[in-house]
Amino acid sequence: MSENAEIIAARPSGAATGVGNGRFGRSLVGGLVTALPVVVIGFAILAFAPAYYTHLALAAFVNLIVVVGLQVFMGNSNIANLGHSAFVGIGAYGVAVLSTPLAMKQLSIPNAPFGLALVELNPLVAALLALCVVAIIAAISGKIISRLSGVAATIVSLALLIIVHSVFLNWTDLFKGNQAFFGIPKVINLPAMLVASVVVIVIARLFKDSRWGLQLRASAQSPQAAAAFGIDARRLRLVAWVLSALICGLAGVLFAYFAGTISPKLFYFQQIFMTLAMLILGGMATVTGAVTGVIVLSIGLEFIRSIESGVTIAGIQLPQLLGLSGVALGVVIVLCMAFRPGGISGRLELDEQLSRLFRRNAR
Amino acid sequence: MLTVENLSVRYGAVAAVRDLSLEIGRGELVALLGPNGAGKSSTINALTGLVTPTAGRIIFDGKDISRTRTEDRIRGGLTSTPEGRHIFANLTVGENLRLGAATRRDPKGVRADTDRFLTLFPVLSERYTQAAGTLSGGEQQMLAISRSLMSRPKLLLLDEPSLGLAPRIVAQIFDFIGQLKTEGLTLLVVEQNATQALRFADRVYVVSSGALRYDGPPAKLADEHGLLNLYLGG
Amino acid sequence: MDYALQQLLNALAFGAEYSLVALGLAVVFSIMGLVNFAHGEIIGVSAYSVFLAAALGLTSPIVAVLLAVAAAALAAVTFERVAFRPVRYAPTTTGLLTAFGVSIVVQNLFMLLISPKPQSVSILNGLNQMWFFGPFAVSSLQVMELVVSGLTILALVLFLNKSTLGLAIRAASRDFATVRLMGIRANRVIATAFAISGALAGIAAVFILARRGSVSPDLGFGLVLKAFVACVIGGFGSLAGAAAGGMLLGFIEVGLLVALPQEYGGFKDALTYVIIVALLVYRPEGLLGQRVELGDKEI
Repeated sequence: MSENAEIIAARPSGAATGVGNGRFGRSLVGGLVTALPVVVIGFAILAFAPAYYTHLALAAFVNLIVVVGLQVFMGNSNIANLGHSAFVGIGAYGVAVLSTPLAMKQLSIPNAPFGLALVELNPLVAALLALCVVAIIAAISGKIISRLSGVAATIVSLALLIIVHSVFLNWTDLFKGNQAFFGIPKVINLPAMLVASVVVIVIARLFKDSRWGLQLRASAQSPQAAAAFGIDARRLRLVAWVLSALICGLAGVLFAYFAGTISPKLFYFQQIFMTLAMLILGGMATVTGAVTGVIVLSIGLEFIRSIESGVTIAGIQLPQLLGLSGVALGVVIVLCMAFRPGGISGRLELDEQLSRLFRRNAR
Repeated sequence: MLTVENLSVRYGAVAAVRDLSLEIGRGELVALLGPNGAGKSSTINALTGLVTPTAGRIIFDGKDISRTRTEDRIRGGLTSTPEGRHIFANLTVGENLRLGAATRRDPKGVRADTDRFLTLFPVLSERYTQAAGTLSGGEQQMLAISRSLMSRPKLLLLDEPSLGLAPRIVAQIFDFIGQLKTEGLTLLVVEQNATQALRFADRVYVVSSGALRYDGPPAKLADEHGLLNLYLGG
Repeated sequence: MDYALQQLLNALAFGAEYSLVALGLAVVFSIMGLVNFAHGEIIGVSAYSVFLAAALGLTSPIVAVLLAVAAAALAAVTFERVAFRPVRYAPTTTGLLTAFGVSIVVQNLFMLLISPKPQSVSILNGLNQMWFFGPFAVSSLQVMELVVSGLTILALVLFLNKSTLGLAIRAASRDFATVRLMGIRANRVIATAFAISGALAGIAAVFILARRGSVSPDLGFGLVLKAFVACVIGGFGSLAGAAAGGMLLGFIEVGLLVALPQEYGGFKDALTYVIIVALLVYRPEGLLGQRVELGDKEI
């Protein structure tokens, strides 16, 4: 859609804007189509892959949810978010603190404040509470960030990451600091993760195609025109930020529940680099891009990591090449930005690309 | 001195300039007139190289500069005073002039030129150490033209010198432009305001919607009533 | 009194270091809108260059200092030529992410080609001594930091106000296209800005090396984050703002160090950022920044 058409379509003039069942339905279908590759891969792994791959797949799915969450904010507001791992961490540590069995807690965090050492909640309840905490912190940080210009907002998102990480690292009574927080109930398996991924993808699509998503993108492209139409860009950015945070928080919750053990450095720059590279490679503008980027880079990184730890080629033992995967990630980002800033999937979602293909063949 | 052959400029799907050809001889003052959106500024930007044309050739001083970088075109003696003046608002009047002379290697000559413009425009002398952004529109225009002239160009392209200025100031500016012509400078003046531009023009081009509509002496233009009514304001 | 004076000196010294790094960032941002996340890696390149030179037999601290500054300037110009030029006219986010990518690449190259572990660099330790003025004991490094930073900023101001290229850089921060219309080469302006940015980073690297006595792959990264924050509180894009922001950051940090009880020391960084964010809430455009409304006419 041309830029002006998008803005006009997004005007907040009530029922007449065409937000009817038609658009919702199309978006829903679109989301499911976008999620299809994920489902297929998931089933393939369930059916055929040995246990080792299941573990890898779970990690990849967590990344998928994080990247989709990142896309919800970055893709629609065009502002670089470098702090999303903070919310992943809050989700993970939230359920860790709330649902770890009491026996474990006595060992790890006996001096936890607010009597949390004596609390053990049902995993679902713990998850919901953790997500509430995520929502609150997202609302506060979002209010600040939505007021700032693009660059300042990005840097504050970094500040948020560092603050949260610092709290995890230093509030040892509650979070065990640098040491791994173990004993979290492992209640998530691959089918559950698959379902969660699909749900998150659909939500992301629904938001993107909703009036809010359209208006947000319009105001990112031409702030003056959008403001002239009465679009409140700040509030929209806040909504996108909170939604993005919740999705990332969910990823953290799921990660904690499948890995059983977490530590602060998991939710710091390593994850930021990786998920950012995945989103950029796949294409920031679309949910399909998020999915694509995760798939491509997960496979690519596995390959590189095997070389990193020293592989034997033709009988020659190659040395450990620590940092190779980092270099690869960085190079991916730089090359993408220089030659294909739109990423692999560009501006069109999977269902949109497919329907274009069919239309062209039908002629 | 300047030959433009079949110039075309597009911005995406929009054709701003279509197959435009024009010529400017040494020492001439040529006026390029037309209503808003006619493609006049796009033409100037293509001539200085700030915009890349989709087709056409530009030959300046005997050399084909179609692929030359902007900075090198300026160094070759072709410069423009952009639409809206574009003086460096955060620099002083003096610093603006100094940047205009950035490509020159003769400090004495630069000083002489600076003094000349300060004498010619006393207000610039008064405000020499003031930030250029605090000058009035007319003063900024005088500064902008002076700045362009600091590089001692062979050909000066003036993009809408009258834009946003009061009629009395416009007349002053054009008096100055006329004087430049008498001193032998070659000029292309792009304008919406036809009356002033026609005062000293040797030849006139009229464009509208990116295409050439008239090419000839100003006297004949007065006969083309249709053109005058349709395309030119006053 | 003694303690207070010492802490004041600390704050000034840290502030000076942050200011230098923040200025380097601001110079580049003001003319190109590029948020150079790779700036920390320029500091890293500088530090590793000294390390390598020392490993190869260099013993003169003076040469080491010159090498640090030169290596940093060279690295900055190289980054620009290789990685940033293709995205020169792209939107801000693209440039920012490219710089982030460069940062990741270079940090990991340090790990890959040299070592993930910190390496000791003692060649500049001579700068870090105690000087005694009567009853006062003062760190020579801190005094030098203040003096050098002051001189450097002075030199920068002179350059930006008196030299043609400096004027061009200032003009370019508002209107790059018109600078080209003066016949001034865009590439030269940008390369100069990056070289200045690099030189500032190199000077900071000298002080960091002198203080830490070691270099590690993430040497510059944490510092650059703080420098960015300094730029933002000072008013992004403004050189004076960057310097002011850096000083303020130094004072906030030292103030927190003094005020925080021992067991909460680990929270110093987090609290620093919290204060910064609070400042931004109060004044989103930064201390010295100007509120720009959409559609504001250029002054």
